[in-house]
Amino acid sequence: MDIGDSPEEAAFRAQARTWLEAHATRRSDASRPLPLDEHVPAALAWQAKLHKHGWAGLSWPEAFGGRGMSSVMSTIFNEEMAQFEQTLGPLTVSLGMVAPTLMAHGSPDQQRHIASMLRGEQLWCQLFSEPGAGSDLAALSTRAVLDGDTWIVNGQKVWTSLGQFAQYGILLARTNPDVPKHKGITYFIVDMADPGIEVRPLVQMTGHAHFNETFLTDVRIPAENVVGDVNDGWSVARTTLTSERSSIAGGGAGWSVETLIELAQHTGRANDPIIRQQLAQAHCRSVALTAMGYRVRTAASRKRMPGREMLTMKLAYANHWVATMETAMTLLGGNAMLAGDDAIAEERWQPAFLNQYAIRLGGGTDEVQKNIMGELGLGLPREPSTDRGIAWKDLPT
Amino acid sequence: MNFDLSEEEQVVAELAQQLFSDLAQTERVKEVEEADGFDRDLWQALADVGLLGLCLPQSAGGSGMQMVALAQLAQAQGRHVAPVPLVASITASMAIAEHLPAEAALLTATADGSEVVTAALAEAGANNPWVPTVRATIDGESVRLVGTKPAVPALPIASHVLVSAVVDGRPALALVDTAAEGVTIEALRTTNHEPQGHLTLDTAIDVRRLVTTDGALDGLLHRVLIATSAVQLGVCEGAVAHAAAHVSTREQFGRPLSAFQAVTQRAADAYIATEALRSTVLNAAWQIDNGDDPTADVLSAAYWASEGTQKVVLAAQHLHGGLGSDVDYPVHRHFLWGMQLGGALGSATAHLARLGHHIATSAS
Ligand SMILES: Cc1cc2nc3c(=O)[nH]c(=O)nc-3n(C[C@H](O)[C@H](O)[C@H](O)COP(=O)(O)OP(=O)(O)OC[C@H]3O[C@@H](n4cnc5c(N)ncnc54)[C@H](O)[C@@H]3O)c2cc1C
Repeated sequence: MDIGDSPEEAAFRAQARTWLEAHATRRSDASRPLPLDEHVPAALAWQAKLHKHGWAGLSWPEAFGGRGMSSVMSTIFNEEMAQFEQTLGPLTVSLGMVAPTLMAHGSPDQQRHIASMLRGEQLWCQLFSEPGAGSDLAALSTRAVLDGDTWIVNGQKVWTSLGQFAQYGILLARTNPDVPKHKGITYFIVDMADPGIEVRPLVQMTGHAHFNETFLTDVRIPAENVVGDVNDGWSVARTTLTSERSSIAGGGAGWSVETLIELAQHTGRANDPIIRQQLAQAHCRSVALTAMGYRVRTAASRKRMPGREMLTMKLAYANHWVATMETAMTLLGGNAMLAGDDAIAEERWQPAFLNQYAIRLGGGTDEVQKNIMGELGLGLPREPSTDRGIAWKDLPT
Repeated sequence: MNFDLSEEEQVVAELAQQLFSDLAQTERVKEVEEADGFDRDLWQALADVGLLGLCLPQSAGGSGMQMVALAQLAQAQGRHVAPVPLVASITASMAIAEHLPAEAALLTATADGSEVVTAALAEAGANNPWVPTVRATIDGESVRLVGTKPAVPALPIASHVLVSAVVDGRPALALVDTAAEGVTIEALRTTNHEPQGHLTLDTAIDVRRLVTTDGALDGLLHRVLIATSAVQLGVCEGAVAHAAAHVSTREQFGRPLSAFQAVTQRAADAYIATEALRSTVLNAAWQIDNGDDPTADVLSAAYWASEGTQKVVLAAQHLHGGLGSDVDYPVHRHFLWGMQLGGALGSATAHLARLGHHIATSAS
């Protein structure tokens, strides 16, 4: 076991840091999150710059335009990048979820999108959740019917993050209602410019319209945009959902235990024994996450699938987020209620507090993850289900 | 960066698992509990395969390995709740090897299993082991030791005890022969049947048996905390495995208990706490061996070991229903070990208080 950087890794880290110092802005107290409509183009431009200088797709196979390095190297780069203001947050669906799915299941034509994503030319969104299908995603009812060599899609999606900015979407739709729910779903690539797509922003309690309702009316999708096989969309979607979990658990948060300690110091509470205890707990959670990250990365760099580790880490990350925000809100006191420009310098904490639901719910809720953990980690019998073997169209609604 | 065990560390892990699963079966553990709580046959077997000398220098008949390897051994012990004073004896002998190399004969005797050594680190009252209260006064060639130490692990079966003490206001370690004059040992009964004793000292030792090196006490405390946390990890693994097996097979309301989410989700929480402990223990073990200042990593792992283990063993116990508290059923041992070890060198809150001081002070 050796947690430290190897000489090669240390050299790479130094190189990355030097480049970032020259091309990015180091985070400071004055750093502010950008509003979404500026953040999206800024992230695409940053990705384009990374690509131009050879820092994009570090651990992606060379066949897809990547650098073919070990996943440890891309982690090192991300660790360094986290100390700068530039982030790739809005590209999580594109780079973290769509690209790995297309690498595993896409046709050569579909895989051409990967290079465009690497160059920062494309933003993607995820059209999975529906009003009637959240945790029970496989119950979805958006319909796709084949007409010649074109699929005609009708239905409604919801919570579509960044749908108002995206050029492409990954879409799950029902293509066979006569078989059990998991077996009649197909995975599509959809062009968001199709006239049948209407995206209506939904304002969240953070004050931002980060996600949307998406209405699909006679949307036309060419047959070559099916990812994987018709009616086998569920197995493709699993790759996306697994990637989503690891993107969330490994995500750059914009806050850290160090910034929490600074907040305690600014607010004159760093010596309060109760606050101290909470700071120490936050530190313990963060050490555990760091060490879990070592395990996940070691597994990934050795081509082992870190499934259980990833599940554990996503849950631990959600717990960390929630508990840390509780401490931050305690420290801010009444100021925690001030929003937008009226918020005091520690503005980053309110949106992070309000955004905890993205972490707890996205990529499978805490409870759903724990159900999976029962099966995967503890070897418990599968959860009993009432709908196994029943055709989707015969399910009670 | 590589978080996988090295080949040598893997061999230790497998050897230890094998040995404990062969020799520390439930019936045997029960028998030892009813006697004096020390399985001498198992101890000898550990010595015979070289595991007692795992972390001693080769000159003392050891293998010269470090904390990551010791964590494997300790974890395997916890998993089987095997009644041997492994952590106490190995960590004390590591400190002796490091600071008192002249004690070669004693080291050889600990490696070959003929003698057990231990360390007296806990303090009465608030139990702050970083501030020892036994007074050491140097007088020429000899050192006078006066004071008491509560709940010293393995004391009734140990030939020597390394006592944390204070000399001129600074922490020190004093090697004491348990049979010497002025050394009083009062054997204690413990909930998990582990032999412990109160130690009262009004005695003198040779000055060459006093360690005043800077950081010697910290180093020993770090090792004991992490080796104990590794035992806790094994205790948790065993508890979770028992619980998973039980709720998969026990049926109520016409289905296995695991079909009820209140059951599954609690078991999943125990699983997560165990994994957090696994990651932090390995990280801290590596930091002790290689890091510049392992303090924060050690305290984080110790926190998970105290706080997390309590949650895990409580959940495992609860999920067993009445069966869990029947001493003929094995899971209660994990509960007793988890609770007892969790408080051994300060509770979760004590670790947090120390860690809070460390991080909030060093960051300002
Ligand atoms: C900020 C944010 C961004 C999102 N972005 C996207 C996106 O871009 N694209 C997209 O497709 N989706 C997106 N989602 C949707 C997300 O995937 C769903 O919210 C999630 O899958 C849960 O579904 P639901 O909201 O319908 O909740 P429900 O499934 O209705 O769950 C409600 C509650 O019931 C619990 N529950 C449900 N089933 C079980 C069970 N079997 N056992 C125990 N408890 C259960 C849940 O844990 C939860 O607490 C986003 C969500 C958020 C919050």
